[in-house]
Amino acid sequence: MKVLHYRQRIDALGTVLFVAFDEPDRLQRTLLRGLKLPYPLLVDPERSAYRAWGLGRGSVVRVWGDPRVWLRYAAEIARGERLRRPRTDTLQLGGDFVVDPEGTVVYSRPQRRDDRPPVAALLQALEHAAGESAARGRASKDA
Amino acid sequence: MSPSGPFPGERAHPLELPDMHGNLSRLEDLRGRAVLLVFLRHAG
Repeated sequence: MKVLHYRQRIDALGTVLFVAFDEPDRLQRTLLRGLKLPYPLLVDPERSAYRAWGLGRGSVVRVWGDPRVWLRYAAEIARGERLRRPRTDTLQLGGDFVVDPEGTVVYSRPQRRDDRPPVAALLQALEHAAGESAARGRASKDA
Repeated sequence: MSPSGPFPGERAHPLELPDMHGNLSRLEDLRGRAVLLVFLRHAG
């Protein structure tokens, strides 16, 4: 949730909607522990929205065979964090999308392995979506 | 809607899900604002 560090900029451009497939009580105990989320977190335990947006499950090799996954766990251990055996579906992939004010997808980045786009790319897409819409609004007013 | 998910230029799928408190939220309710939609991986 690195995007939360850019809340001011995001709020000037639009908003964020998070979607998770874990049950709310698990989310409270893990992801949201000590965190006050300023944006809605929607829950999709059936993963119907995940499927509709083209987000399936990765293979064990693709997800767990990625050296970046192990590097991240090594970094957590180095920080003194205790690793727990995941009790959830670690193969379910996520994704990032930007939808413009008219409801058109302007950025689409489904995960194919455990990777996420840089936050700068997401902010740029959000800026583009907000800016294009504003420009269209001005153009139609001038017409 | 592409089977592999929406591509840039396509209409967004009408997302409608409950939030953490059970209140139904729709992507369509945010029409008029640019939205960053983040599908998370596992909570851990």
